[in-house]
Amino acid sequence: MASRAETAMDPVHERLGLSAGLRYRLGRFLLIGIPLAILVIWTTLPILWAVLSSLKESLEIYESNTLLPANPNLDGYRTVLAMRGFDSWLLNSFLVTVVATIVPLALSILAAYGFARYAFRFRHVLLLLYLIPRIIPRVSLIVPLNSLMSDLGLINTYWVLFITYTASAIPLSTWILVGFFAAIPKEIEESATMDGANMWHRLRRVILPIAWPGVVTAGVLCIREAWNEFAFVLALINETTMRTLPYQLYMLKDSMGVQDYAVYNAFTVLTVLPLLIVYLLLERRVVESIVSGAVK
Amino acid sequence: MNATLHAPEVMTAGERAAEMAKRLAPYLLVIPGLVGVLGVLGYAVAGGFLLSLNETDMFLNKTFVGLKNYIAIVQDARFQNSLWRTLVFVVASITLGITLSMMFALTLHHVGFGRRFFRGLSLVPYFVSGIAAAVMFRFIFTTSGGFVNFILTSLGLPAPSWLGDPTLAFTVSILANAWFMVPFATLILLGGLQTVDKDLYEAAKLDGSSGLHTFRRITLPLIKPMMGVSLIWISYISFSTFDIILALTAGGPARATELISVYMYQIAFLELDFGRGSVLMVMLLSFNTLLSLVYLWVFVYGDRRYRVVR
Repeated sequence: MASRAETAMDPVHERLGLSAGLRYRLGRFLLIGIPLAILVIWTTLPILWAVLSSLKESLEIYESNTLLPANPNLDGYRTVLAMRGFDSWLLNSFLVTVVATIVPLALSILAAYGFARYAFRFRHVLLLLYLIPRIIPRVSLIVPLNSLMSDLGLINTYWVLFITYTASAIPLSTWILVGFFAAIPKEIEESATMDGANMWHRLRRVILPIAWPGVVTAGVLCIREAWNEFAFVLALINETTMRTLPYQLYMLKDSMGVQDYAVYNAFTVLTVLPLLIVYLLLERRVVESIVSGAVK
Repeated sequence: MNATLHAPEVMTAGERAAEMAKRLAPYLLVIPGLVGVLGVLGYAVAGGFLLSLNETDMFLNKTFVGLKNYIAIVQDARFQNSLWRTLVFVVASITLGITLSMMFALTLHHVGFGRRFFRGLSLVPYFVSGIAAAVMFRFIFTTSGGFVNFILTSLGLPAPSWLGDPTLAFTVSILANAWFMVPFATLILLGGLQTVDKDLYEAAKLDGSSGLHTFRRITLPLIKPMMGVSLIWISYISFSTFDIILALTAGGPARATELISVYMYQIAFLELDFGRGSVLMVMLLSFNTLLSLVYLWVFVYGDRRYRVVR
């Protein structure tokens, strides 16, 4: 970096007679500072704008458009929380997220342990069968899934969301966990075996504690998938009370006459907030895992 | 060697059971998850292929018609429009996406202060749902009360109807899609940058290599696999973008943003033609598979000659 800054700035700086230290700092400021500013603005602007708009008064936008709310208030949030059905959408989202995190995690832990620790016939074929679904876009399945689930009479049930969300979460979390489990030296486990620990003990007492960052990462990604999922719920649910938060956010435009910006944005913020809190709490592990290439 | 010291290899019933359990263990571990994956996703894919060969009526009664749906789709002007739109959308998204994520990754790699904070911040959009991202972008670009038009009016510039104009709406949807997909690609590239040996940069500097030259000759080749992974991610997301478009423009105005996924949804769920909808599913799947294979080939497996450098 230093070399790039210096070579680029050389002639100008010699003319200006700047010291080497200052030259380095100025170059660095331009080369890092500007892209960094773009990164921060690009990342936060949509969210900031939603938060600011949610604090404005209902019709403020139509009367005078200002950057900051003239009279910040939480009326938008109050209206959303008082919406008929909000508690059931929240509960639905919460319920499917919990189930579609715990079940796929449990199944993936077992599978990943099998793949990481045993040499067996058809290992590669079975692993491939686990991984191929990762290149299948979720949305492409909505047509056959709707027809399949109608035949089974599962449309508009929790089961249909549990099943489809779980199935689509398994491939990624298995892939993440295989990587983490395989990285644990076999010797550690062997010494536990000599101490008389059976497979369950080894998995619970040895493997899971060591691979915990992987489990957390896989868990957060399962939560993310389930909380934000839209295509499946759109295709498989059509009763108002069975909707999840993203689905209701999508339907909000149709259910409002005049678009109430504050309410709309408050709803958006409320759907995004719970997941962002989860991310905030576990941010380090998740970022570490993605940067280290464990998630891909 | 010392088999003679052992008793003849006769296993007791208990030992045999233990041996059997040990051999079966991996299958017992692996099968339950696989049942879920294949039972739902595999069945759906197979069902979709079958459905695409059938004509369906409103009550989902099926009649086998062979490739009739495929022929009808390919000849449909609306499909040709959506295919063309999708291709432009994907190419534009890849260009914008890889440029932004490379820029961000380089910035995060070299930033001197608050590195952890900025890294964590950069991933935030990854956790915002597609629907929420679309709604946020709608309020940024909405004609009255939108952020962009607020800035433009303050500067005395004309305030266009961003989502009412076909070209502008198409551009906005590319931006929203990029906002959603760039963070993950950025962190993957950042991971690549962190693996590059610092000594190589020192050596290049001593040889008088310029910054840009070093980037092209050392950094890019070494992070090629990560480039591949982020390209796969970006194209995968762009090809099958659905929720962002549906909530942002619903395919409009004048079908300007009607990508294949949106077209598929509308033909299946609004026109209730599941046969043709499944044809589009098959196409989405094939495009994605093909693209992933090409990238894997070019970037990951074709990478061997660079291993020497490492």
